[in-house]
Amino acid sequence: MKKQKHKNALYLSDRQPLAFAGKIGVLMMYIILASWAAAIIWPLYQMIVSAFNGRQGSYLILNREFEFSWEHFEYLFEETLYLTWVKNTIFIAVTTAIVILLIVSFTGYAYSRYRFKGRRASLMAILLIQTIPTFAGIAAYYAMHTIISNIIPAFSRQMMLVLIYAGGGIASNTFILKGYIDSISTELDDAGRMDGCSSMKVYRLIIMPIARPMLAVIGLWSFIGPFMDYLLPRVLLTSPQTYTLAAGLFTLINDIRNTNQPAFAAGGLLTAVPIVIMFILLQNQLVSGLAKGSVKG
Amino acid sequence: MKVELKNIGKKYENRENFTLRGIDLTIEEKDFCVILGPSGCGKTTLLRMIAGLNSVTEGDLLFDGRRVNKVAAKDRDIAMVFQSYALYPHMTVYDNMAFSLSMRKERKKIINERVMEAAELLQITEYLHSKPSDISGGQRQRVALGRAIVRNPSVFLMDEPLSNLDAKLREHMRVELVRLHKKLGTTTIYVTHDQVEAMTMANRIVLMNDGKIQQTGAPDEFYEKPGNIFVAKFIGSPTMNMFDGCITDGNFVFDDGVVRIVPSEPLKKLLDPYEGKNVSVGIRAERFEKDSIHRNNIKCTIDVIEMLGKEKLLYCRLSNDKEIVISAPGYNRYEEGMEYTFGFDDSVVHYFNTETGERINK
Amino acid sequence: MAVYNEFLYDTIGNEHPRKNLYLLEVARLQEQIRNSAKSDKTEFVRELRELKRNRKSHPYNVSLSAFKKDEKTFRKNLSESKKAYSREIKGRFSPKITRLKILGFLSGQMEPFYKPFTGLSYDALMHYEEALIIQRQIDGVTEFISEHETAMADAKAARKTIGGEDNKKARAGLFDFKKIQRQKYKADIASLRKKIKEGIISKKAFEAEKAQLKKKQAYAILVKSYELPGKGNRELIKSLHYQVTKGFRREITVLNANIADLRRKTPVEITRVVPVNAFLSFFLPGFGQVLNGQYIKAIFFFLISIFTYVIAIPYSLGYANFQGDGIAGLISLAADGSKLDKSLIFMIEGTLSVYLIIFAVVLVYISFRDVFKVDRDRIRGVRPRNWFETKTSLFEEGFPYMVSFPAMFVIVFIVLVPITTTMLLSFTGMDPQNQSKFPWVGLENYKLIALGQGIAGKAFWYILGWSVVWTLVATTLAIALGFFLAVFTNNERIKGKLFFRTIYLLPWAVPSFITIMFFSIMFSPNGAMTEIITKLLNADAAIVVKYNPMLSRITLIFIQGWLGSSYIFLLSTGVLQSIPEDLYEAAQIDGATAWQKLKRITLPMVLFQTAPLLIGQYTFNFNNFSVIYLFNGGGPFNPTKYGNLAGSTDLLISYIFKLTTDNQYQSIGAAITMVISLGLMVFAFFGFRNSKAFKKSDTE
Repeated sequence: MKKQKHKNALYLSDRQPLAFAGKIGVLMMYIILASWAAAIIWPLYQMIVSAFNGRQGSYLILNREFEFSWEHFEYLFEETLYLTWVKNTIFIAVTTAIVILLIVSFTGYAYSRYRFKGRRASLMAILLIQTIPTFAGIAAYYAMHTIISNIIPAFSRQMMLVLIYAGGGIASNTFILKGYIDSISTELDDAGRMDGCSSMKVYRLIIMPIARPMLAVIGLWSFIGPFMDYLLPRVLLTSPQTYTLAAGLFTLINDIRNTNQPAFAAGGLLTAVPIVIMFILLQNQLVSGLAKGSVKG
Repeated sequence: MKVELKNIGKKYENRENFTLRGIDLTIEEKDFCVILGPSGCGKTTLLRMIAGLNSVTEGDLLFDGRRVNKVAAKDRDIAMVFQSYALYPHMTVYDNMAFSLSMRKERKKIINERVMEAAELLQITEYLHSKPSDISGGQRQRVALGRAIVRNPSVFLMDEPLSNLDAKLREHMRVELVRLHKKLGTTTIYVTHDQVEAMTMANRIVLMNDGKIQQTGAPDEFYEKPGNIFVAKFIGSPTMNMFDGCITDGNFVFDDGVVRIVPSEPLKKLLDPYEGKNVSVGIRAERFEKDSIHRNNIKCTIDVIEMLGKEKLLYCRLSNDKEIVISAPGYNRYEEGMEYTFGFDDSVVHYFNTETGERINK
Repeated sequence: MAVYNEFLYDTIGNEHPRKNLYLLEVARLQEQIRNSAKSDKTEFVRELRELKRNRKSHPYNVSLSAFKKDEKTFRKNLSESKKAYSREIKGRFSPKITRLKILGFLSGQMEPFYKPFTGLSYDALMHYEEALIIQRQIDGVTEFISEHETAMADAKAARKTIGGEDNKKARAGLFDFKKIQRQKYKADIASLRKKIKEGIISKKAFEAEKAQLKKKQAYAILVKSYELPGKGNRELIKSLHYQVTKGFRREITVLNANIADLRRKTPVEITRVVPVNAFLSFFLPGFGQVLNGQYIKAIFFFLISIFTYVIAIPYSLGYANFQGDGIAGLISLAADGSKLDKSLIFMIEGTLSVYLIIFAVVLVYISFRDVFKVDRDRIRGVRPRNWFETKTSLFEEGFPYMVSFPAMFVIVFIVLVPITTTMLLSFTGMDPQNQSKFPWVGLENYKLIALGQGIAGKAFWYILGWSVVWTLVATTLAIALGFFLAVFTNNERIKGKLFFRTIYLLPWAVPSFITIMFFSIMFSPNGAMTEIITKLLNADAAIVVKYNPMLSRITLIFIQGWLGSSYIFLLSTGVLQSIPEDLYEAAQIDGATAWQKLKRITLPMVLFQTAPLLIGQYTFNFNNFSVIYLFNGGGPFNPTKYGNLAGSTDLLISYIFKLTTDNQYQSIGAAITMVISLGLMVFAFFGFRNSKAFKKSDTE
């Protein structure tokens, strides 16, 4: 019996057994980690609670009373243009993602596989120019929109927004995709060429399917961008009909006439949930995509 | 198919000098030709030019007498096996093998027949529908071969195809490749830096260095009659022992007579023009014999003995500290630090012109 | 004086002897003049003069002009006989074969004509060898095409007989085959399942095996289905069609390529020694190409002429503008235009004109370079490229340019033009009083900023100071938080990694505008946080963070720490997991403590690998508009110190926003933008330059 016990106590871990100080250290770590987790959860929890709390007025206050209700969501859907905003945002996001993917998938391939004059200089120049805040050109964007929409009446402010987002995303995404394609062996290109592919076909049939994970990440980032941005829609879009989610929801807390903070919480929640789920599911790809682009270039 | 290279040269666009120049080579139908050379000698460039992946700057590249300089790689009726196999990772083994045929819009039935045939030949039918990432290195190697075979090409090009395999598998695949070549009888051009692969597989070796062909010929020619000092040193392990001396009174003298070789009569005539000039002599390690009756001998002290089983490598030192390597049968007994006398036959001595490096006793 | 070289040189640099004996004599004499002593020179000079005077009667020139005359008549006859020949074979062959036959016929005529002149001129030699090449290849091509065309005709004929019984039978056969395959598949799956139950294979292996079996079955059925007569025939026709069209194109390409190769090896000989074509045609791209004999290429270069003279120049002169006046508008800024004219539009159209003109100049220069190079090379002996060669090299070398053209287009119009406009705007006086029309004011705006005067200048330095402090503190806080959280979470003794990782991801995943707005609500006078803080500090009156500048700033920094740490956390986690374990083991053997390991291994590794991204975080925060603006609109406000526009937490970016969008001081805003952009660019330049990414491409 005694022997048995001894066996159970056999120390199997490769790690050194912890001394007392070490145990304190581990405990401290747990405390720090847990308190930070609490700091993150608490405001989000408050938001969720407020969104469902029927006892809230149009201003949010910390009250202990709670009554489950959908009323804020009802307000959101019936009294505001929430669905229009969702539709606008998705339109802008999808178009942006498509435009960026179309352009970048070619430039990424060209920058990775071809040595041509001005390759390095142009990338550096564009990366530098892009440190200038997009919003610097706002006056010009207005005027350009006036000019273009006068020539092409269908050219809306939203399309201008798409172009601005796309223009802003080209350089960095080219950089990221180039880094990824660089890591694909050029022997595959050669094999493709021997098997009867032209340059275009090498890209379409061989490189693109292999680079698909990175293309997905780029597409995803470009898609999320318009959901996150507040500044440009606020400036460029003029009527609530054309607002994106960010600009639209802000009217719920900013504009005194239709202030409704719980409805904002509800809208925020509705917007955040799908994005959060997506982030949690795809976190590895999203992070690796970013890191790869910068580290490997 | 017969492959002929006539005065082929390659100059990369932003480089001053030619990478390769004046390459003349004929590879006969059904040859297994190995292009051998140290890295950076231009052998891969040459192969890629034959493949059509690099353009030919000058000269003519003929396939069965037809000039193909400007024919696109896919239309040259060749297939290539790459160093990293270059299997398309997003396709199954089957699709990998069928890719080139389906690019040519070949009929499904024919594609299927060809793929199955190749798969059976290489014994890869079992995992035809797996992805390349799910199979082992050796299997990938076979798939890469299969992809080449499916096209039924007139020439196989292989760019160091075995270098990614471990030693045991490499040995196995070497035999396999030779067997395959015997069966299919397709002209094969094989690039490698490994002389063992070259010696064992080729029926014709092309040794390159510095963008030039050093020697072409059958493997035994390379070993027995190296055309110049580079070839002599490159082929054979351990490396051939070289002595840089000169001809004095018709004899070869190395460093004030530490080594003195008296050549045989016919050789003497050949060496006549070199009287007083610098000549290098090479003798392979296994050509030294202990207690021999030969008239040419050297005395040396053994530094280190390496026991390899069937043979012993003796690392010795001459009286002037020149190091030489001698290979002796494994059962002979030697002592480290002792002095021995080794003899060698006339016929095994290779004479080279030190300045040009060319062989004298052709 | 025209100086000739004794030899001609081709593209690769090989030497060829001159065939023009007259020029050869001239070249030799010139050579002798150059090399001989002064006394002998006069003799040679005289000789040369003599030679030149009798140029026309030089035997070589006589025979050359005779050849040229002959050639002219031959060419004329050739086109006649070509017509006759095509009439003769019309309708007897398929279009492709007809083309080949005509080609063969022409080369058959050319070969004997040029043969006697091959020693006379390189042109004749080239035509002769070209004819030889064609004759050597044409039969093979014709045979190949006609063989496949016949097969195609057979297949098409066979299509008519398909149907009825055979088809039905085949269908039934296929149906049975499918059935058998499915049964086999089911049986295989069942046996696999059994294996799972017995524990021989894992679930994962089962899934992989199943996928393989499925594919196998699908393939078998697919291949079998082509045994249907109809489907098989369709496929056969498709395949043959491909062979015929692609094969034809391929063979013609090979033929052209061989001729191109011949052109590279056969030099050209002209009497001119100065590349005048380029200078003659400088202002008219396309014309020079015509002079060089590259007619199809010329068409494309004429497009440059059209662009220059029909689009760029008229536009920059003010024609077809939306409202502006081209480049002139850039100077006048609509100062004396009508009431509706807007300076800003004049400016943008002016900028656009400038870009168009730059494009035009670059293109014209490219054309000039092209003509010049071809012409110069031709004097050396290099034959100009024909259309086939130009096209091929365009597709090979031009590919990257072609595919990145859309990107360039978007960047020029969406990034460069607006930025240029902003830059120009900073030198004007666009303010609330001068909205539609404003003048140039030079460096006035920058002066205001530097001296801290005027509406905007007053607060500038305060705001710049806060922006810098904010950037450094908030970013560093976020980085430190994220890094240490990552180190703790990745500690081998911590359990629940997944839980913590998921939680820490949240601030990044929830769109930041939502969280910031919600924080803003919570810190508002009757918000939750205000209540909590008041209670905690036991204050009498409610402590409203938003009313207190210092508290606001501190709160903002913490909010940014909350938001930004998440991203750093994920990034560091990624790097931490990629640090090889043996580094730590080595350190442990060397006796490093946990802290030393962190300082010497972990921190440098993470920093090194994420440096460019961290730099990006600093620039991002410098321009972090949303957190400032959405939290409290830059407030609290303190008009005595900041003027009426800015608040005490405003960053430069939100200040610019207020200046330009809310209050329409566009030019001052533009000036500030330019100042901070310059600073950021310098900062980023050093950051990027030192990053591994750019270093690597240096060595390529």
